[in-house]
Amino acid sequence: MSDFWIIVKKEIKDLLRNKQIIFGMIILPLILFPALGQMMQIGIEQAQEETKVVLVNFDKGEYGSLLVKSLEIAPNVTVTQIQAKDLQEAIKKAGEKDYNVVVVIPSDFSQKISSNEKTYVEVYAIFKGISAGMREGMSEGRINAVVQVLNEYLAKLKIEQNVQGDPEAILKPIEAKSYSIIKGRIVEVPPSVVSGIIFSQAFSIPLVLFIMITYVSQMAATTMAAEKENKTLETLLTLPVKRITIIAGKMIGTAGVALISSIAYMIGMKYYIGSLTPQTSEIGISLEDLGLSITPKGAFLFALSLFLAIVFALSISMLLSVFAEDVRSATTLVSMSIMPLLFPSFILMFADLETLPTAIKSILLALPFTHPILASRAMLMQQYSQMYFGIAYLSVITLITLYITAKFFSTEKVLTAKLKFGKRKRGRA
Amino acid sequence: MPAVRVEKLEKDYGKVKALKGISFEVKEGEIFGLIGPNGAGKSTTLRILATLLFPTAGKAEVFGKDVVKQADNVRKLISYLPEEAGAYKNLTGYEYLEFMAKLYAKTGKSVEEMLELGKEISDLGNRLYDKVSTYSKGMTRKLLLARALMVKPRLAILDEPASGLDIINAYSIRQTIKSFARNEGVTFLVSSHNMLEVEFLCDKVALINEGVIIEIGSPRELKEKYEAKNLEEVFMRAIRVSAGGE
Ligand SMILES: Nc1ncnc2c1ncn2[C@@H]1O[C@H](COP(=O)(O)OP(=O)(O)OP(=O)(O)O)[C@@H](O)[C@H]1O
Ligand SMILES: [Mg+2]
Repeated sequence: MSDFWIIVKKEIKDLLRNKQIIFGMIILPLILFPALGQMMQIGIEQAQEETKVVLVNFDKGEYGSLLVKSLEIAPNVTVTQIQAKDLQEAIKKAGEKDYNVVVVIPSDFSQKISSNEKTYVEVYAIFKGISAGMREGMSEGRINAVVQVLNEYLAKLKIEQNVQGDPEAILKPIEAKSYSIIKGRIVEVPPSVVSGIIFSQAFSIPLVLFIMITYVSQMAATTMAAEKENKTLETLLTLPVKRITIIAGKMIGTAGVALISSIAYMIGMKYYIGSLTPQTSEIGISLEDLGLSITPKGAFLFALSLFLAIVFALSISMLLSVFAEDVRSATTLVSMSIMPLLFPSFILMFADLETLPTAIKSILLALPFTHPILASRAMLMQQYSQMYFGIAYLSVITLITLYITAKFFSTEKVLTAKLKFGKRKRGRA
Repeated sequence: MPAVRVEKLEKDYGKVKALKGISFEVKEGEIFGLIGPNGAGKSTTLRILATLLFPTAGKAEVFGKDVVKQADNVRKLISYLPEEAGAYKNLTGYEYLEFMAKLYAKTGKSVEEMLELGKEISDLGNRLYDKVSTYSKGMTRKLLLARALMVKPRLAILDEPASGLDIINAYSIRQTIKSFARNEGVTFLVSSHNMLEVEFLCDKVALINEGVIIEIGSPRELKEKYEAKNLEEVFMRAIRVSAGGE
């Protein structure tokens, strides 16, 4: 065997003997990506669910009924016709049940079509939460498709009958005017545009959180493991400083650096996303225009939730890194423990918590990193009571983790855990 | 009150019995040496006294304070130099000393004085303002020793203080330790397997082998008792006697 192959062989053997590498670099990706696909699937399936339409027909003529029929036979659309004296009442009734679209046919609908004038239907998409908003966008599309089919049918009819008049009104007699309903308020922005804006929110917050938590835990693992690797830990632990002070100092120091890095990230991301989706700024629609404003109270609660999640990540990373022998294995150990906690919350990018199956919902609620994501949405929707629950839960979990970490650091395990870990490994080999 | 009191101290690492019930006392102001071969249990003893490890059985006190129950109090009295230690690589030597001095400031000493002393003991000159990552092994050791001594602890626990130092530096460190004990009243507990170093340095020594103390006394007493020229011979004879006596 040539020297080259001797070295290659030793290198492979060395790397593959490291359980963390096997797990982190081989097994994890094999699980991770299929899982991500599965999550997207759930989101897409949800978006493709039935469009449940509440229909209010103020028109007594034949074309009104024709539109109702067309909607009724359209695939993936269920129509419930209701009586309502005005739009407000219709929206209210729709909100009570699980309807996501309100369609209103105006009283002069048939008359206008008969007299070859242009008319319209109003389509209101009801946004319930801030997940991708794919469902609402999709519903709008389905209704539009029905309207278009009807338009084509009417246009053919009129052309066959050789009707004279405004060509625009003949070719496209019915226009679908789309609006969005956010928090019970009508916003004069089409659902597809709202979806786009909400999508970037739904996507970027979990992503930024993911990056931030990963960074924070990697850094915490590094600072602890570096103390071991550089043999500064023993000295540190004999200084006249309380152990809890050492942990807290390290945590806050790490969090500070993480804050700087996440600000840098967000600025970078903003330009990155900005260059991909310029439409938001071009249309000139901000979250405020959608009625999704951030109050100081909301911002504070969100920040608190984020802070608690970061402290949790820091604490658990420090605890775990005690078991590692060096920086490299500490970071792998930490990421393979943090990932499973962090990853499932990605599902919230594609689906709303409320619409998920109970089992998945419970798992998500039990995971600490779900809560800042939920909080970011509750902040925009100004649903503060939801945030209190998340914060209370996070506080309890974080305090328990902190307590365990502090306890652990006041025992000799902080020095010897590594050796036991190593010994166990050797024993098995 | 003795500076250190150790009573029937035992320490198991899983199945390995590192200490099998050792007892000794160190008087205040004394330089006490713990000597023995590799794996004898020296570092284990010192680490228990430095509050890093918990004894399996027995008792250890520093100035009357229990090292387990009153660890926080003990840490205010001691300064510990591990056998294998490093300093923060991205700090300069001076920043390292400053960091340490500030943490000891609450024990009533002035940071400036500590730093002045630290500079002097480390004897690194201008290199003190270079990053620790550029230091040689011996330079790092001197820096760590300086930080252990500059805080003028009541008890300094030094695990092989001169390991990695050349004879000149080792000699100067011994002089520093001696003068700290005489002039500052600092008590020293040092470990070594260099018998000659210990003979020159220590007022009293304990010979430890396989977790058992086989002899305690001043170097002179021990040499007389075993009719030996130096501690090395004492040690070899003492081991034979203790093995034969069993
Ligand atoms: N963390 C540990 N886990 C398991 N065994 C240990 C551990 N630390 C020390 N030992 C064992 O305890 C015994 C005493 O070790 P110790 O380090 O106290 O010896 P020492 O006298 O300082 O030796 P040296 O002169 O080589 O530094 C040895 O047998 C050693 O293998
Ligand atoms: Mg040792």
